[in-house]
Amino acid sequence: MSMANRAEQKQRAGWPGKVRNAHAVDPHRVRWERFLWPAAALSFALLVLPQLGFVWLSFHQDLGLGQISDELTLANYWTVLTDPLYLGSIWLTIYLSVATVVVVMLVGFPTAYALARMPARLSTGILGLLLTTSLITVVIKLMGLNIILGSSGMVNNLLLYLGIVSSPLQFINNELGVLIGLVQYTLPLFIMLLFSVIQTIPLSLEEAAEVHGATRASLWRRIILPLAKPGLVAGALITFNMSMGAFTSAVLLGGGRVRTIPVLIQQTIIQSTEYGLGAALSTTLLVLVFLINVAVGIWASRRVRRTP
Amino acid sequence: MSLMKGFTGFRLSWLAAGFAILFLVAPFIVVVGASFDTGEAYFVAFPPRGITFEWYSSIPSKYIEAAWTSFIVAVGVAIFSSVVGMCAALGIVRGNVWGKELFQSFFRLPIQIPLVVTGAVFLQFYYQVAAITGVNALGNLWGLVIAHLFVAIPYSVGSVSAVLARVDPSIEEAAHSLGATHWSTFWRVTFPLMRPGVAAGMFYSFIVSFGDVPIAIFLVSGDNMTLPVQIFLDMQFDFRPDMLAVSTLVVVVSAFIIIGAQRFAGLDLVLPGRR
Repeated sequence: MSMANRAEQKQRAGWPGKVRNAHAVDPHRVRWERFLWPAAALSFALLVLPQLGFVWLSFHQDLGLGQISDELTLANYWTVLTDPLYLGSIWLTIYLSVATVVVVMLVGFPTAYALARMPARLSTGILGLLLTTSLITVVIKLMGLNIILGSSGMVNNLLLYLGIVSSPLQFINNELGVLIGLVQYTLPLFIMLLFSVIQTIPLSLEEAAEVHGATRASLWRRIILPLAKPGLVAGALITFNMSMGAFTSAVLLGGGRVRTIPVLIQQTIIQSTEYGLGAALSTTLLVLVFLINVAVGIWASRRVRRTP
Repeated sequence: MSLMKGFTGFRLSWLAAGFAILFLVAPFIVVVGASFDTGEAYFVAFPPRGITFEWYSSIPSKYIEAAWTSFIVAVGVAIFSSVVGMCAALGIVRGNVWGKELFQSFFRLPIQIPLVVTGAVFLQFYYQVAAITGVNALGNLWGLVIAHLFVAIPYSVGSVSAVLARVDPSIEEAAHSLGATHWSTFWRVTFPLMRPGVAAGMFYSFIVSFGDVPIAIFLVSGDNMTLPVQIFLDMQFDFRPDMLAVSTLVVVVSAFIIIGAQRFAGLDLVLPGRR
């Protein structure tokens, strides 16, 4: 979007005000805004109508067999926010998402840096490869991870062969498996995003610092990280949001044992047909993710303002 | 000394890059490799113990039908979303509207909603619509197309408006002042210039729809099963090596399409949405 804005600003700057106004009242001008209204109306209808019905549903109690009560009640939200099952699930989802963000940053940031500093031909090829892997349906990646990480998979075979462990480790069907699946799901996008950020940091800046005696560590701490920080915050938020909503990875690598909120939403609605409770869970997830994003946004902008 | 340190720092980032690439590519290598394994069913081995095409000849017809359903739905989503994306982008970028940034972020909203929530929301919506009007979108593919369209539109709007913003409007004005009608100006000047954005939007919409599990899991039934959901269900309850063969075919076809789109169609595949 920043590209579009910049182009627009440039264009605005280039056009004298008088001409622009004449342009606006030109009777021969195509009224492109007419095309916006049907598109906006459709998107608005698809966004608001289903959501309203859904939120309305969350204020009704389930009577079993998919039936709901007539009177409005907060009972579903009370259940979600007091029942240890749902509270535990909320905590688990946040905890796994934060862990995913940490791992993705630790692996993804140096990777993006290496890509940004290698010859363009090589990095283009690797980015194309990463893009390809990120676009193929996640089900197939999870199938591969299942084979690699299983008790007779390659990783365990290697560990046993090297004598590091004496019996196969449990990598899947637990929280660790879900974490690995979430990293697999979010890492390509994070790398691509950070690559485009680090690319804007001129190499000459690093060289100048090095000439003046900066160590590699202080170079990272005082130049690369501060300059990449807005990108890091944005990338971390996207990773967090994707992880909070991740369903497929949580089911297939958690073996049904790791019940994050998305997993519970699907089970509540499809298996127990408790639509009201499912709607309340979904609304809670939505509000929770929204609030965390707002909080991080405020925190990030404050930090920016405080540093001179 | 500082050079040495620089070298190790650089090497560490290369190490991370090597690990990341291996980690992201390995699942595909394993799935493709294991699909040729000669072992017995219900057990998967990689590297393969012997090469066979047995699993490819025994692909159950349910996967073929599901793949066809997914394809039809994804093509429908791609077409509709590109039309909506073009209209929205033309209106936002070229139109005389107030609050363009507001419209941009409004069109990006669906991506912020977890896909599972979108699936649950549309399931309920179709129930309510059926209860009021008697029209049931769950029995046919329209329900799936509309729900996927909801999450695909942001990608189309993003791609088309990014490209359109780079097109200089004075080219269109030149065409118009040289006597071209609005209609021919659009089809012979504007549209060809914005076509890369439209193509990228269609491509992303197709990908979003074709690979989706969390929305479709709510909306599919036995008659209109999509391929990812079929594989998802079978992975949990009924794993067989022929799924590896199906997945390999999907990987190969997807890779060809994606690489083709980048190399030959020249699509600038910077992810427009997901932010």
